[in-house]
Amino acid sequence: MKKQVQPDNGVIVVRDLVKKFNTQLVLDGISLAAEKGKTTVIIGPSGCGKTVLMKHMIVLERPSSGEVYFKSRRIDDMNERQLEKVRTQYGFLFQGSALFDSLSVYENIIFPIRQHHVITDWKAIDELVKSKLAMVGMDGFQTYYPANLSGGQKKRVALARAIAMNPHVILYDEPTTGLDPIRADIINELILKLQRELEVTSVVVTHDMNSAYKIGDRIIMLHEGKIIADGDAEHIRKHPHPAVQQFIHGRVSEEDLAALRLGGTKFKTQYTPEDFK
Amino acid sequence: MLEGIGIKTIDCIGNIGRFARFSGRTVTASMQTCLQPKTYPLIWAQMNTIGVHSVPVIMATGAFVGMILAVQAYDQLAGMGLEEHLGVLINIAVVKELGPVLAAVMLAGRVGGALTAELGTMNVTEQISAVRSMGTDPVKHLVAPRVLACLLLTPFLIIYADLLGIIGGCFVSVVHFGINSRAYWEFSARGVEMWDVLTGILKGFLFGGAIAGISCYKGFNCREGAQGVGEACTEAFVGSFISILAINFIFAVVAKAIYNTFWSIQPLL
Ligand SMILES: Nc1ncnc2c1ncn2[C@@H]1O[C@H](COP(=O)(O)OP(=O)(O)OP(=O)(O)O)[C@@H](O)[C@H]1O
Ligand SMILES: [Mg+2]
Repeated sequence: MKKQVQPDNGVIVVRDLVKKFNTQLVLDGISLAAEKGKTTVIIGPSGCGKTVLMKHMIVLERPSSGEVYFKSRRIDDMNERQLEKVRTQYGFLFQGSALFDSLSVYENIIFPIRQHHVITDWKAIDELVKSKLAMVGMDGFQTYYPANLSGGQKKRVALARAIAMNPHVILYDEPTTGLDPIRADIINELILKLQRELEVTSVVVTHDMNSAYKIGDRIIMLHEGKIIADGDAEHIRKHPHPAVQQFIHGRVSEEDLAALRLGGTKFKTQYTPEDFK
Repeated sequence: MLEGIGIKTIDCIGNIGRFARFSGRTVTASMQTCLQPKTYPLIWAQMNTIGVHSVPVIMATGAFVGMILAVQAYDQLAGMGLEEHLGVLINIAVVKELGPVLAAVMLAGRVGGALTAELGTMNVTEQISAVRSMGTDPVKHLVAPRVLACLLLTPFLIIYADLLGIIGGCFVSVVHFGINSRAYWEFSARGVEMWDVLTGILKGFLFGGAIAGISCYKGFNCREGAQGVGEACTEAFVGSFISILAINFIFAVVAKAIYNTFWSIQPLL
């Protein structure tokens, strides 16, 4: 049962994508369309090829076979020069942040702006950087260098950089991984806000099911290079495929474990409620 | 075994092809960069790290070359009573070969290693992908300024090496061996032609371009991980070193041919 997608089914359309690294088959015939103004969430076990799939959407990787379309135009066979124009319409958050470590936070964020515009009004740019950093809770860190930031802080600065140009398509590779739960929820809200107010089309790779349910209009699960589930949060929750159930409940059982530990297990040096009185 | 040789050959040819394509892109990107004032600050910054910061080591290299030549050659010449000709020997050697080549080798180590390590680290931490993802050509943004800075400044660094080589040689000859300084300089002036100095300096453009090109290429194509970056640095230095020697040889042959045809008929014109 193979679903046929057409180039005009969404802003980003991937058709029959196959990717091999040498002999290793990573993606095996993926077809999907990210619709305009919607958030498409991609979930799947670690190492199943989510990052690779996402890189194909902006042609940082070239497919072994299959096609990629952006706004109904085929982009996977374009040369780098043509792709430059297309890529300016994207924001891409790398899983590992990929901040430029020789540049300060401020310079990192103005980097994409600087590449494509001649900046004359520096006051306005300062304001813009401030507002983008404030959105991710990092205002005040303008002069820091990436080496002096924690992993979660880097991720948030990278997110601010990805949205600096107000792109209409944003690809987020694990935006909430490595953040505390409150921060993670703020990022979820940010993604929702961008979608509501600017009609941004987003694709989000995540392991965080709370986040997936909250922001995803549509959730797609990858497994062994193929799509095994596709639908809204409700559909995924009730999906009969065992791999899907295992994946989405993995987190719950972990919580159960944690709860057990709190209730029962005794450590010799464990604090009891009386100790805090 | 035959299969092994075959794979190696294909690998090698593929590598040459990739390097040729990379060089082509670098050349076009560099020319575009020259025409865009926006990118000048990037070139300035690179000139500072590549050029200005290399001056002390280059000067030290030049000085020691000049001094050692004086020390080693003095006995032979003095044995024949020709010690006043020491200047020609030292200055010709410094200006034509040792100054440019040793300065270039020094640069290959100092600058080439740094370029490869920097770009290699950027590659493995996806910073180069990040540049691409923002619609910027990494060759234009990262490689062109480095190649241009290296290309433009190597000749100047060679001038520094030459200068210090000459001073060092003179210092040892005159002060240490007590050669008459007037005679030293007069023989030198007669022996060393403008052509020798010029070709020595002109080689610098080729050396600089080769060092930066090879180092950036290795950085861009390095394998994952710390070990990958390390290997890339080694390969970049070996590659730069061999190409400096090869370019030097080819340049010498070509320059000699040009000299014989044109420079020698100059007095007739
Ligand atoms: N450049 C590459 N060269 C070779 N193999 C690669 C490359 N990039 C990815 N792979 C392989 O592709 C597979 C999928 O990698 P990918 O990074 O997409 O996983 P992922 O789903 O994003 O995992 P995670 O959730 O841990 O980030 C991995 O098995 C990896 O070995
Ligand atoms: Mg990933």
